[in-house]
Amino acid sequence: MSQLAPLMPYHRVNILTGTRTARLVEDPAEYAKQITKAQRPLLVLGPRLLKLTLGEKLLLEYALDIAKAKNIPTCATATVKSKMVELGVKPDSVYDIVEIINALKDPEWKGVRKEGNHDLVMFFGFRTDLGEQGLSVLKHFAPHLKTMTLCKYYYPHADFSLPNIRKDEQWKNFLEGLIDNLKKGE
Amino acid sequence: MAEIKELTKKLKEAHEKIKAEIPWEPIGHTPMPEIPDLRSWDMKLLQTYKPWYAPFCDLCCLCTYGKCDLTEDRRGACGIDIGTQQARFVLLACLMGASAHASHAGHILEVLIEKHGPDKKINLGTSVELEAPIIRTVLGLKPETLGDLKIAIEYVYKEITHLLDSTAMGQEGSCLDYESKSLHAGMLDHVGMEVGDIAQIVGFNYPTSVANTPLVDLGWNSVDKTKPIICFVGHNPATSTVVVDYLRENNLYDKVEVCGVCCTALETTRYYDRAKVIGPYSRQLFYIRSGIADVIMTDEQCIRTDMPIEATKANSALIATLDKVMYGLEDATEMNTDDVVKKMVEEKKHFAILDPKKAAEVAVKVAMAIAPQRRKEWLTEQEATELAKKCNDCGMCETACPNLFDIGQGVNAVSKGNFDIIREQFNYCIGCGKCEEECPRNLPILKIMQVGASKEKWKIRSGRGPIMDTEIRTVGAPITLGTIPGVVALVGCSNFPDIRDLAEIVDEFARRKYIVVVSGCTAMAVGMWKDADGKTIYEKYSGDFDAGCVVNVGSCVANSHIAGAAIKIANIFAALPLRANYEVMADYVLNRVGAVGIAWGVYSQKAASIATGFNRLGVPVILGPHSSKYRRLYLSRKEEDEWKVMDARKRQIVETGEPSPEHLAYVCETKEKAMVMIPKLCIRKNDTPQGRAIKLNHYISLYKKYMGGGLPEDLPLYVRREPDIPLVYKKEVKAYLTQIGWKPKEPVGLPTLIGTYPTKVPVDSVIH
Repeated sequence: MSQLAPLMPYHRVNILTGTRTARLVEDPAEYAKQITKAQRPLLVLGPRLLKLTLGEKLLLEYALDIAKAKNIPTCATATVKSKMVELGVKPDSVYDIVEIINALKDPEWKGVRKEGNHDLVMFFGFRTDLGEQGLSVLKHFAPHLKTMTLCKYYYPHADFSLPNIRKDEQWKNFLEGLIDNLKKGE
Repeated sequence: MAEIKELTKKLKEAHEKIKAEIPWEPIGHTPMPEIPDLRSWDMKLLQTYKPWYAPFCDLCCLCTYGKCDLTEDRRGACGIDIGTQQARFVLLACLMGASAHASHAGHILEVLIEKHGPDKKINLGTSVELEAPIIRTVLGLKPETLGDLKIAIEYVYKEITHLLDSTAMGQEGSCLDYESKSLHAGMLDHVGMEVGDIAQIVGFNYPTSVANTPLVDLGWNSVDKTKPIICFVGHNPATSTVVVDYLRENNLYDKVEVCGVCCTALETTRYYDRAKVIGPYSRQLFYIRSGIADVIMTDEQCIRTDMPIEATKANSALIATLDKVMYGLEDATEMNTDDVVKKMVEEKKHFAILDPKKAAEVAVKVAMAIAPQRRKEWLTEQEATELAKKCNDCGMCETACPNLFDIGQGVNAVSKGNFDIIREQFNYCIGCGKCEEECPRNLPILKIMQVGASKEKWKIRSGRGPIMDTEIRTVGAPITLGTIPGVVALVGCSNFPDIRDLAEIVDEFARRKYIVVVSGCTAMAVGMWKDADGKTIYEKYSGDFDAGCVVNVGSCVANSHIAGAAIKIANIFAALPLRANYEVMADYVLNRVGAVGIAWGVYSQKAASIATGFNRLGVPVILGPHSSKYRRLYLSRKEEDEWKVMDARKRQIVETGEPSPEHLAYVCETKEKAMVMIPKLCIRKNDTPQGRAIKLNHYISLYKKYMGGGLPEDLPLYVRREPDIPLVYKKEVKAYLTQIGWKPKEPVGLPTLIGTYPTKVPVDSVIH
């Protein structure tokens, strides 16, 4: 699943000094396939989704479109819930990032919909240092699940990550492609 | 049998050291505790607040057996697993921090004993009779003289050596035992800090038994550039105080500016209120590179390790004054003073001078000689614009930024004459200079950022030292009953992620009538803010330890007075004996004192040990978002974990179902989320209905303010009975509780963990 060849993370403070690095994925269809394959995916939403826009659209709206396309449960961290409520969406759960990761570590946890722990966890909208450390927790202590990131940076500690993307247009295309592919797979 | 004999011998030795024959209080169960003595308490804490490890690295690189890959359940060649390896690193960090403070304390104690003699009495003023709550609690010793403090610091040194030994290859193999050792290191750190600050207060005659200490100037613009300037960097005032003495003795105090970065600055203002505070560590490189300082004097801790290079670039003179940091410089301690001055002025040489008197004389003479020849001006906007024009917005600087922001965007805007972005970015900048290192065009980014720096002057209240016994008598009851909703202590470095966060947190909670305490670089950062009336935090709020006040205890080592205040509540207000009675004190604080620490912008190992010391004492700590890099948090899982306590009145173990405090070491990603967590982490099982209603009022109102309305998801866990519900939200909360089928719970009389785990301490000990 993971690959050996290390790739430099965008923020060098997160340089990986290790042996297991994320599989770099550039094709939205491949991401959609992994998500569709998962039995109980979870989308964890970070506060940077409230600050960044792609084109006219807030990043959070892309996240909610992804969740909606496949009825993926969401976890709102930090103060994300406030904006979701404003957009008329109720998060399936509210935890901070360290709390949700703490719960995900436990294979017996029932998950946010009480249907069992999740087998694929997508992270979107976190500071790269906190995100990377959180992914490291799951990489080492949650072998029962896979992790995936949707931010425009390479996250070595994830199982699946996007590359470092310099142009927002490319990122926008990826996210829109992912949403389309998820919808197609309905 | 042999084991019992050994224990008795150990106990006898401890009793001799703590002068057991002086019967000021009965001696508790753990005089001068060694590693195993408080292990059961630690394990009890760790049962609820389990370590959460975020490995930095997949490998262990600590010995030549490896490198060893620790992924996917692999163990190192020595047998260590990834969790235990993280715990070992955390212990190492705590030991670095504890040893930094202990070594500072030991050094200053030696200096002051040489000056005043070992029999110099400890007198902290008429309002502080309980002079050393931590030393009394941990060791069982009531220190009466500077010489007595040596007993405490030697105990710390010995324990640190044992702990460090356990990190060697082929030693400890359990992450939980490493955590117990980290908690031990944290507690030792608090002892070391208390030794250091008591010695300083006594030896330097710092203010004590007073709340509203002088307001002193803060900010780099508060320094008069027309005068010779001596700038101290570090933590140890052994030399800075002698420089002040030299200026006084030679009638030069109005001819030379004395200022500092980081904690030596705070210490110096406690000695001399004309000293100026430049700012926290994050401002160090900016200030040094500005070249405003004529002479830089370093002591220890939080000093740039490339200071000789930076000083040379800025054309400043440098004197290293302590053996811990000598930079490879020539040691001029034994050289003739005039020769040293001549070489520094004419040859621009830097020296190490370990004799404070000689260092002081050299510093003043050099500063006065070189100041008139040096250009000391901030970069102008026009100069910055010219420099910034070389930027081609390649983005390399952003990739190197530990605080993850795009400084290139700001520099690029400067090149077009727009300074708004860089002014904003200056608040995020942690002053490491990594961006410059990456710039392919070698732009002096930190120099350009000078135009983003505020040229404002602020005020900071100089450190006041211990909380007075009289104050504890006033606030003890309202804190433990909950009617003062909490003590919020913002401690340590202030670098990450936005320096303005701290003042906003302080203002929010002081307005809400919490007791707010600050220390170290955070005390400086909160001063760098003004309200609409132009008042800083220190001008707006009184310095008393009371509801709605803001107390600056002082530098890093003064953090001990915050832990000391929590112990004083148990001892002075609740009348529980503290002598060698750590478990009883910690249990009281955990269950009854609604205090929370905020280590928001921290980066150093000292912050790890300070926070871990608070954790062992039962005080939860909230860390800023980058702090997951400390590798370990202590988290509970509120709905899955047991929340059993002993009801000491009924002598029954009860399941409260109430996660208070919910976590012991916690990371928040945003300031707004921290604002919501702070009131929650001040909730304690001992709260009266009135107190709980006040605490929940703040929790709900801050939740509504920052989380977009509604009620906190976990609110039902904290409502025991209807009187706990705040009046303002009564209708809404009752409707919600009815909807989810909430049932009232029996309140706990005297909540304690004593009696719920194996300990020698009887339940009677927690009843006063």
